[in-house]
Amino acid sequence: MHTHADLALKNIIVAESLGKAVQTSEGVLHILRSIHLCIKSGESIAIIGESGSGKSTLISLLAGLDTPSSGTIRINGHELTTMSEDGRAAMRNELIGFVFQSFQLLPSLTALENVMLPLELGGDKQAKSLATALLTRVGLAHRLSHMPRQLSGGEQQRVALARAFVTRPVILFADEPTGNLDSKTGATIIDLLFELNQENNTTLILVTHDQALAARCQRTIKLDSGSMV
Amino acid sequence: MSRFNLALRLLWRDSRSGELTILVMALIIAVTSATAISLFADRLQRTMTTQTADFLAADLVITSPDVQPANWITKAQALQLHAAQTADFSSVLIENDEMLLASVKAVSNAYPLRGYLKITGGDYSEEHTVHQGPPAGQAWVEKRVLSALKLKLGDALTVGEKKLIASQILTYETDKQGDFYSFSPRVMINDADLPATGIIQPGSHVHYFFQYTGEASALQAFNQWLKPQLNPSQRMLDIHKDRPELGSALNRAERYLGLSSIIVILISGVAIAMATRRYTERHFNATAILRCLGLKQRDILWLYGCQFVVLGVLASSIGCGLGWFAQQALFHLLRGLLPQHVANPGLLAVFFGFIVGMAVLLAFALPPLLRLKQVSPLRVLRRELEPLPSSAWLVYGLALGIIAVLIERYTGDAKMTATLLGVGLLTLLVLGLLVYGLLRVTGKLLPHLNLTWRFGLQGILRNSGASVSQILAFSITLVAMVLSFTVRTDLIDNWQKQLPDNAPNHFALNIFPAQQATFKQDMQALDITHSQFYPVVKGRLVEINNTPVQQVVSKDSQGESATHRELSLTFTQQLPEDNKITQGTWWQTVQAGQVSVEQKLATSLKIKLHDQLTFTVGSQQIKAEVTSLRSLDWDTMRPNFYMVFSPGTLDAYPSTLITSFYLPEAHKNVLNTLVKKYPAITILEVDVIVKQFKTILLQLTQAINYLLYFSLLAGFTVLFAAVYATLDHRIQEGAILRTLGAKRSFLTKIHLLEFGLLGFIAGVLTVIMSEAIIYSLYTQVMHIAYSPNYYLWLVIPIVGSICVALAGYSGIRYIVNKSPVSVLREL
Repeated sequence: MHTHADLALKNIIVAESLGKAVQTSEGVLHILRSIHLCIKSGESIAIIGESGSGKSTLISLLAGLDTPSSGTIRINGHELTTMSEDGRAAMRNELIGFVFQSFQLLPSLTALENVMLPLELGGDKQAKSLATALLTRVGLAHRLSHMPRQLSGGEQQRVALARAFVTRPVILFADEPTGNLDSKTGATIIDLLFELNQENNTTLILVTHDQALAARCQRTIKLDSGSMV
Repeated sequence: MSRFNLALRLLWRDSRSGELTILVMALIIAVTSATAISLFADRLQRTMTTQTADFLAADLVITSPDVQPANWITKAQALQLHAAQTADFSSVLIENDEMLLASVKAVSNAYPLRGYLKITGGDYSEEHTVHQGPPAGQAWVEKRVLSALKLKLGDALTVGEKKLIASQILTYETDKQGDFYSFSPRVMINDADLPATGIIQPGSHVHYFFQYTGEASALQAFNQWLKPQLNPSQRMLDIHKDRPELGSALNRAERYLGLSSIIVILISGVAIAMATRRYTERHFNATAILRCLGLKQRDILWLYGCQFVVLGVLASSIGCGLGWFAQQALFHLLRGLLPQHVANPGLLAVFFGFIVGMAVLLAFALPPLLRLKQVSPLRVLRRELEPLPSSAWLVYGLALGIIAVLIERYTGDAKMTATLLGVGLLTLLVLGLLVYGLLRVTGKLLPHLNLTWRFGLQGILRNSGASVSQILAFSITLVAMVLSFTVRTDLIDNWQKQLPDNAPNHFALNIFPAQQATFKQDMQALDITHSQFYPVVKGRLVEINNTPVQQVVSKDSQGESATHRELSLTFTQQLPEDNKITQGTWWQTVQAGQVSVEQKLATSLKIKLHDQLTFTVGSQQIKAEVTSLRSLDWDTMRPNFYMVFSPGTLDAYPSTLITSFYLPEAHKNVLNTLVKKYPAITILEVDVIVKQFKTILLQLTQAINYLLYFSLLAGFTVLFAAVYATLDHRIQEGAILRTLGAKRSFLTKIHLLEFGLLGFIAGVLTVIMSEAIIYSLYTQVMHIAYSPNYYLWLVIPIVGSICVALAGYSGIRYIVNKSPVSVLREL
């Protein structure tokens, strides 16, 4: 298991000449072109850009959810592009947390069970107490046994935050985490996200449209038509 | 918490939210029907076998010219078998200066182990059913014995040197062996009296019958132990071989029950596949999240696999229980038709239902379920990413595999399995392509249709691949129902035709040639229709091409029994009614020395055309050349012969004549007139056997009716599963249309139209497929006459469209009646 101390100030993500292209009926479509990126441990990065600029594609590649057409990605020194899908799955479980715009909670599990899930998948015996503690931390101690459909959007995103942080991930990917929330709830969630990020010293990679939110990150990467500008 | 617990938790939550209802229902129906049918068929079959076993008076019978070896008795006792024995021999009885050649049967106290005897205390006494033979010192005799020897009941009757009391008239004997033509009247005595008769001497011509009953496993063990020890003169009797009329009915029964249950399983399987497909599609998102959280592909498979195994075990157990009740109810409903003692339900049959449930789940649910393994974690960001459909080879291969195994298991007939699968597959393939083409052509009509029709038709055309599968699935269901109904009706009609109401129900034997003319006249005067008169000469086949017959036949061959006993030989100029020449030619001119052999016996004894056969008749030898082979139907209840000679070959030997005739129950008194006038002629009432035959057919008809209800039930599950399989995108589309201002009546109309159209096309396909399958089944396998069913062409498409439209609408009502906002929120 990697500790945050081990990884301090190291380049946790290194992407070189990263490209993604797909074949369409009108020829090859380049979604991303020669992205060079170096992210240090504990850093917070905002990826901004217009719709269709390639933001989501970039984080899907960085998180190992998709494979690039060209270039390499190293996470914590491991070459991601040569790993099998199962290898990447194991890495996700160990190092990476996610927060999505559409929350992505399992509808058939309670709030507590959703947060326990990644710990249980990793075989953690303390799953219940850790999950309860984190849900209490995000202010949902009274909602533990509620199903996702019984929670408001803000509450669902807090559960998602708790689920993302419960494994103390080294890297947290957040894809427009406030996109489905009203501005007031969104602001509360963002505060919570940065608090948790600071408490856990997590590397944060955030995709957003929101300039104000981007400004809270240490660094901003702007994408335009698949290229960094 | 282990992953198994997670699997259980997900399963529990899914089941509570109704996610699994259709799947579980389909599986329960599959297992309920499989178990009920397996149990029902098993019990019915065992009951039938027991009934047939009644004809042997035991489950296992060995005939032998010698007494029973001591080690057989010891072995039978060790295996806790019940044993009895009889000794049959001929003896001349002399009383009151009258002589009679009687067939004496000395029976042990345990006889009969199966079946019963019927006796009466005189002309006006009632018949009694008894399960034991005469006590020592008494003789039970056929009535003819009394009249021929001028005796009355209570008189002394001397058998050999032993004086016995003729105490009862024997009217029915469960295991009367041998063909119908060689009867001399029966005298039954207790085998305790046998030594005192002094008849059995070394070299005496005696037939011993050693009879056994007991647990199936013990019988099997005994059978296996005994078989290698049998010498050529000892023979094991088998119900399938030794009662051809009953054996073939039993075989047909087994085959048809099996066929019906496969149809139910196939329909349920289609429902399971459809329900699993929907389940899978609704779990793509959850799977993507799990993959995102680090679950590997094999973990995903394990997680869902576990859920399905648990689901399978639960649903199969429930199905087994329900199946048990279903067959109990079935037997309760049929109790009036079934024998008083029906065989108990076998645990193995229940277990078979369970196994079928798990196997059907595996075969039909695994391919769609495997798609979950392929779900990309990227789906959390891009919802439109869907895993590739499962390989068609896997989908159809597994389903075909399990169906083939089941057909083979039920029918035990490779030819039938191949025919069913081959014709079915080919038809499906051709029809699939046809429907696809038809849909493509119909698509061109769209711009010319009004909005309702356009939306209705678009529903089908949007995903023509899925529509083709749905249409074919509906068709398979309907085909199964149509087959169940049509084949059943035709099969039973055909059986009824084979045994028309005026099928001969009596044989008259031992008619002396001198009596033939007057006997014929008397029968005509009494308005009795009779079959041809055939001369019967008793003879034994001893050589084939100058080689002793025992060296030619293998001990296990079916015709082997024909070499141990005297055959009834006949001669005629005309080919007997219902016989067909399969090889060679029937004699056109009178030329002695030719013989026509029954085909199956010829095959069994390896007799070919132009072989020289040697027979012994009395002390003389006759040679004849095989000039033709014949096929004949043993079920007809007419005099049938293995060996028919050309005129001039046997004419010089003493013969009697045989005929068969029909006499309705109400005119049975006519028999007395005949018997009084011709005391030497034996009248054999085979209508008792015919009655038993018809009872079996009736039982089967009832059973098949109930099997049809199972197919119907399963068919409706498919209907619902198919509708629900495409429900999600319909819900979405409906909600959007309503948001855009579409009225509820519009939504109702387009959905009724779409499903109605689907059902109609499926109905037309059903008729085409049914006719193709029925045609090949009838002509290739069952050998029943085929004629097209015109009413199907009218009824099925209409019934199909109404059923599918209603089932579809019942699912659609949900989106039609709910507010669009609440529907959209649930998506």
